[in-house]
Amino acid sequence: MTDFRFDIIAYYLPILLKGTLLTIGISFAGIIFGSILGLIMGFGRMSSKAYFQLPTACYINFFRGTPLLVQVLMVHFGLIPLLLDRSDPILAAIVALTLNSAAYTAEIFRAGIQSVDKGQTEAALSLGMTRRQTMRYIILPQAIKRMIPAFGNEFIVLIKDSSLVAIIAAPELMYYANSMRGQYMRVWEPYITASIIYFILTYSLSKLLNWFEKRIN
Amino acid sequence: MKKTHFLPFIALIMVIMLSACGTPPAKDPVPAASTDAGTASTTTGDETIKVATDASYAPMEFMDLDKVSGFDIDFLAAVMAEAGLKYEVTNIGWDTLLESVKQGTEYKAGISAVSITDERKETYSFSIPYFESTNMIMVKEGSSIKSATDLKDKTVAVQNGTTADILMSKIMGQNSTNLKKFDSNTLALLELDNGGADAVVADIAVVREYIKNNPNNKLVGITDNTNFNSEYYGLIYPKDSDLKAKIDPAIQTVIDNGKYAEIYQKWFGTAPDLTNLKAEITKAGTS
Repeated sequence: MTDFRFDIIAYYLPILLKGTLLTIGISFAGIIFGSILGLIMGFGRMSSKAYFQLPTACYINFFRGTPLLVQVLMVHFGLIPLLLDRSDPILAAIVALTLNSAAYTAEIFRAGIQSVDKGQTEAALSLGMTRRQTMRYIILPQAIKRMIPAFGNEFIVLIKDSSLVAIIAAPELMYYANSMRGQYMRVWEPYITASIIYFILTYSLSKLLNWFEKRIN
Repeated sequence: MKKTHFLPFIALIMVIMLSACGTPPAKDPVPAASTDAGTASTTTGDETIKVATDASYAPMEFMDLDKVSGFDIDFLAAVMAEAGLKYEVTNIGWDTLLESVKQGTEYKAGISAVSITDERKETYSFSIPYFESTNMIMVKEGSSIKSATDLKDKTVAVQNGTTADILMSKIMGQNSTNLKKFDSNTLALLELDNGGADAVVADIAVVREYIKNNPNNKLVGITDNTNFNSEYYGLIYPKDSDLKAKIDPAIQTVIDNGKYAEIYQKWFGTAPDLTNLKAEITKAGTS
């Protein structure tokens, strides 16, 4: 630690920031696509029909029950080459993060919707609202408020977990931190810098979510 | 709640299922495209050859910001210019390299300080050798370790899947828990630095670079010519690749015309001793 080299951080900073942009990009894509897929999965999970319920339950259990690292490797070496006949680390990263976060957001959706008291539905229906209206105007507004903290948590976890895709050489922040380690064979400089950048990302996201939560309440 | 039909969501699921049904026909052109690429590489020289590397072996190959750099990369540039081939080097990591080059669909070659071994020859084709190397033991100053046989009962760190791993597995026994296998050489070298291992075994160039970069850590490199034979690096191809015939003469020319010595001087600061390498090339040519 005594010979901490700021010069190599200064040299690598532009490329680390470029990597940070990709980290933000793949995390954001994972959040967006994951939420959409998770919404579908969440409703499938709550469906009374076995042909919706069973596949979604399998999906959710599989992606929550296996490590993201294994999923990343499986998508990169298996799924993407199978579909495209070539490898594409960035696409593999987005697909893996999407599939993984969908399983978690599905459960957040389900928990949020099921947390709204049954009496609310009954009351709305007895007022003459249709089931769609009940969902849209009565249940979802209440459920979404309760989902926000859990979503925020999931987004932050996703940003941190996106560092795992460095293993398939997707050129994001962690990948360049590893490159820096490889070039100079030193650890403190790349990893302290990377952790500070990750911290800035997650901390500002949590502040943003807090602000949003206050506004909605 | 239970009987509710979420029409929009069912519609969404239908869309996804339909698009899934649409996938098989879309998949059809894929095998056709891959055979196209296969024939293209055998008929024309215009196609860009994708070369894989694991850029974590400074000074052989490493990432300088977002540019792959190092001895191997400069050497490859000279060889490809000589052979008149278009190429592109991509850093994809060691395990991905081994897997991709084996399949040979996307990456037609790899350069990454890959030692030519008999085991690897069963799965891959190799170019003629282009670099002489050996494994080196790195220990802390004042260590009692003097040769590879001293390592038998010590804790040793290596990079997984390298020749150092193979050598040390033979000396220490397969699956020895005292042999710590890491994802990269740097991690193995750090393990010693941090006191988690008594020694590291890695390629000589990598160990020297590490010692050079960390002058305050009091590290020593030990060569052991009796237990560690010379190894020779080669370009790695899929089995029976037609690239070998195109690139081998170019490698020979680059070594003979002095371009090789120039690149060697640039990265290692000394002139190369080519006696062993040239003998090995002759051997590889006749066998």
